[in-house]
Amino acid sequence: MADYLPILVMAALVVAFASLSFIASGFLGPKRPNAAKQAPYECGIVPEEEPAERFPVKFYLVAMSFIVLDVEIVFLYPFATVFRGLGLYGLIIMAVFVLVLLVPFAYLLSVGALDWGPARRGVERVAGPILRTKHAVIDPNAPHPGGRDNPDDEEEVAA
Amino acid sequence: MSHLLALDPLFQSGHVGFSVFLVVAVKVLVAFALLLVSVMLYIWGMRKWIADMQNRIGPNTAGPWGILQTLADGIKLFFKEQSIPDSADRVVFRLAPYLSIMPAFLLFCIIPIGGQVSIFGHQTFLQVADLPIGALWILAMSGLGVYGVMLAGWASGSKYPLLGSVRATGQLLSYEAAFSLGILGVLVRAGTLSTHDIVSQQRWVNWHSFVSQWYWLPAFVPFVIFLIAATAETNHPPFDLVEAEQELVGGFNTEYTGIRFAIFFLAEFMNVITMSAVATTLFLGGPSGPGLGFLSAGNALNTWLMPVFWFGLKVIALLFVTVWVRASMPRMRYDRLMALGWKYLIEIAILWVLVAAAIEVANVQNWNVWATVLIAFGSAALAYGVLYLAIPKPDEVVEEFR
Repeated sequence: MADYLPILVMAALVVAFASLSFIASGFLGPKRPNAAKQAPYECGIVPEEEPAERFPVKFYLVAMSFIVLDVEIVFLYPFATVFRGLGLYGLIIMAVFVLVLLVPFAYLLSVGALDWGPARRGVERVAGPILRTKHAVIDPNAPHPGGRDNPDDEEEVAA
Repeated sequence: MSHLLALDPLFQSGHVGFSVFLVVAVKVLVAFALLLVSVMLYIWGMRKWIADMQNRIGPNTAGPWGILQTLADGIKLFFKEQSIPDSADRVVFRLAPYLSIMPAFLLFCIIPIGGQVSIFGHQTFLQVADLPIGALWILAMSGLGVYGVMLAGWASGSKYPLLGSVRATGQLLSYEAAFSLGILGVLVRAGTLSTHDIVSQQRWVNWHSFVSQWYWLPAFVPFVIFLIAATAETNHPPFDLVEAEQELVGGFNTEYTGIRFAIFFLAEFMNVITMSAVATTLFLGGPSGPGLGFLSAGNALNTWLMPVFWFGLKVIALLFVTVWVRASMPRMRYDRLMALGWKYLIEIAILWVLVAAAIEVANVQNWNVWATVLIAFGSAALAYGVLYLAIPKPDEVVEEFR
């Protein structure tokens, strides 16, 4: 484990560097807090709402897809060091392993889970007749709300 | 091939005495100082290069040609107030800069900047640490860097930093996958995780080594993917959505002032240098290059100076490309950024790994190489074709749901 000694020394040095910078700056810099300065920055206006606690679910989907993918990649690292000795067997095993990942990946892509276009497109791609949101019930088979639909739409729905 | 015990001859005896620790301390201190100075010079150089490209003068007051401008900025930030907003989570807010700067330094530890040299009578590699899991260390440290960005934005308790950090996390995670698959493209050729071994496999024999030994040509696709992903990992333009000033004020570090902001700034530009160094190590042979032919191979100039010179030259060349891209390309749109990462880079990289592995195995097992190449590329193209069909096309969506 002696290999990791320089890493440890470097980590200690960096922590010391950063801490000493903060302490030194604490002594050198002024301390004149006031209410406006301590308020969250909002481009000069008084903040009215707390920052949002809920985010579009897509960010979570990306994080979850990433974990699956990253676990797969971490398994590929040891494979990359030993596969020469495994021959065809190793190749087939790894191809199956990657395939098992790519099938759900293709599903994710096909339902638009990784599409970041305008929100309307994402909502409308969800399968099933009815989708409930906070504000309204959206039926993808119904004509588009907002009075922007034209006769072509009616024909497509009818067909 | 793969070692689990000490690789660096410094630790081969297994006993870490005072003189060994002294060598370690010297190497760490030199690397630390080198990084700080090179960040200083890089920020100055970047401003000067961009100024030249935009027909401006750039920094020209502090020191000769403005070379001390970054130092002046840093010293100024020491004398500024460190403000913490009332809405912030004070502990995490103070912790986040450490989480940003630590991976930036620790990642550089495994970069070989020279060959084997003798310091105080000890044989050692000219790199801070040669870990048996070097490539995984790159992955781990670039992954940890995300925490600094995410926690800084979250702990600020303010809208713009939160938006910036969530956006950043999405971007960094997406490109982390492409990034690590790009590294994998080299590992399949090299068959080892140690950075020192990867570099010594790309050693300089003659002028043909540029194409025959270095991995940039046999792993050209991973090289391109790595460069794109590394640019996105370091939040450099055209992937600088994290700090899109027009939309997000300053991104995740909006609420940071004074020296805490300076630490984030330092970490960001240090990451650019480290990523260039990683690209040099993996794809461009690291310190390998022609020595001075009129001196013997064991001469101090050939063992010490020339490898460091070649390493520095390659890193500076990559940094110049980064700045060039920065000056030329407009910022990407977020949906296109995510689409590029998830729909193209990741698939191509993962399939490339299998194709490259098949070709390597064909070489070892004496299969017909051309047949293997044909079958491997054919199946990969088929797999990518199926995946590509799965991607909803914009036109198709409009047709269905207009």
